Amino acid sequence: MEAKYDFIKKYREQVLQCSRCGFCQAVCPVFGATLRPAYNARGKMLVLKEVMDGKIDLNDELIDTLFQCTTCANCFKNCPSGVNVPEIIKQVRKDMVHIGSCHPAFTGMNDVLKKYTNIYAEDEAEDFGRKKNQTAEYVFFIGCVGAYREEESTQATLELLDFTKIDYTLIDEVCCSGVLEDIGFTINAAHVQTNIDRILSTGAGTVITGCPYCYRTFINRPQYKPLLDKGIKILHISQFLKDFDFGVTTDKRVTYHDPCDLGRHCEIYDEPRQTITKIAPNFVEMPHSRVDALCCGAGGGVRGAFAKNSIAMARRRLVEAEEIGAEIVLTECNSCVHNLANAKLRKQPFQIYTTTQLIRKLMKEKGSLKN
Amino acid sequence: MEIQGYNMPDELYYEQNHFWVRQEGDEVVMGMDDFAQKMAGEIVYVQLPGEGKAVKQGAKFAKMESGKWLGKVYAPVSGELTAVNEALETNPELINEDCYGKGWLFKIKPEDLSELNNLIHGKEAVEKWVLADIEKYAQEK
Repeated sequence: MEAKYDFIKKYREQVLQCSRCGFCQAVCPVFGATLRPAYNARGKMLVLKEVMDGKIDLNDELIDTLFQCTTCANCFKNCPSGVNVPEIIKQVRKDMVHIGSCHPAFTGMNDVLKKYTNIYAEDEAEDFGRKKNQTAEYVFFIGCVGAYREEESTQATLELLDFTKIDYTLIDEVCCSGVLEDIGFTINAAHVQTNIDRILSTGAGTVITGCPYCYRTFINRPQYKPLLDKGIKILHISQFLKDFDFGVTTDKRVTYHDPCDLGRHCEIYDEPRQTITKIAPNFVEMPHSRVDALCCGAGGGVRGAFAKNSIAMARRRLVEAEEIGAEIVLTECNSCVHNLANAKLRKQPFQIYTTTQLIRKLMKEKGSLKN
Repeated sequence: MEIQGYNMPDELYYEQNHFWVRQEGDEVVMGMDDFAQKMAGEIVYVQLPGEGKAVKQGAKFAKMESGKWLGKVYAPVSGELTAVNEALETNPELINEDCYGKGWLFKIKPEDLSELNNLIHGKEAVEKWVLADIEKYAQEK
């Protein structure tokens, strides 16, 4: 008999491989915020086993459990049985959407990208006053969060790019739309084509992204392969900046939050630290860092669909920053900086920036960048 | 006064982006009105700037977010921020539960209390304004 759902066809063995040891529970951000075992990877795998055994069926009652996952991959990296939970969850979400069971916020995101060119349904993006859609050696691809939510961070990055004197252009970019594949839908082919066409028309050899998720989408999603086929190099801004010396330092106690999309998903751990340790000799790691870093709670559509729990996850992350006495928390992801800043309590004595924001601030204080 | 299901108390002043204002001695208290909190849905975040911040009538000075919406808070009068509702830091849904009471946002010491006269006030004016906005947002849907 043919399996009822695609997740069973693709991942049956993986679901059965879960030995229920619970190592995932210790690192799952959703469990950490809710203390509900069904939300943890082990709980989700048990639910899926019940579905595979025909004891329960996928339905609306499972939306809260199966859609509440940041796809941070901390469970996968800590799983002794090697169960790739994020990939299973992404497939299950597609199966759920296929039968008409979906969280309304996720349906909303898909609908928004049918009508708009950004995930927030905003009509107008901030004009950063830079060259756009022109011939250049580099394209800087901002991403939706940087363009519509964390404009200050983008402004800082652009000022540093200006300082490096590289020849770059912005483009009339549209959402990379990779997130749709994570929340039960399919990447928006028209948006992909628009981005590819606009990047290629600049003649650039390198695309620098401000967003780890866009970076991940460009290098991993087959729909963006035409860029790689043309020999275009894709870099995240942290990879690009590591080779520069901005001539500023701070005595402050600085820590770094690894974004899941850059760290666990792309294994970019060292480059951000190369830049940060140059400017902050008093750098200190949080108890969970690099492959073990706690998730900020924003990914996998969870910030949009389960905002309260998402912020609770970010608060757990910030407790670690407080414990080590950090004065500055840096990260390399606009979604992380957004969620962490939303979660920060007034009494917490640190500032949260992207690395480019801190460098710009220090350069302005020194006078090496104009105010 | 109730206008098509929205509770808009008569005695308050209203800023056009749907923030209410009430005078308390030489300060004003402000919050989000019932129309706005219903339109926004569950509020999940309110930015709480530091006390002492200078604000200018009509200019944005803080951000708010619901699951589906990012909004800006506009100053109803010029002056100095004297208090923020710290309860919103961990419990922003107070705005949805009690927008004119426990869900208040900020207190401001105005430079010139007569600036209140620039706001929407009085039963007739409030009704006209809210009805127009109800129609406007219905069209946008």
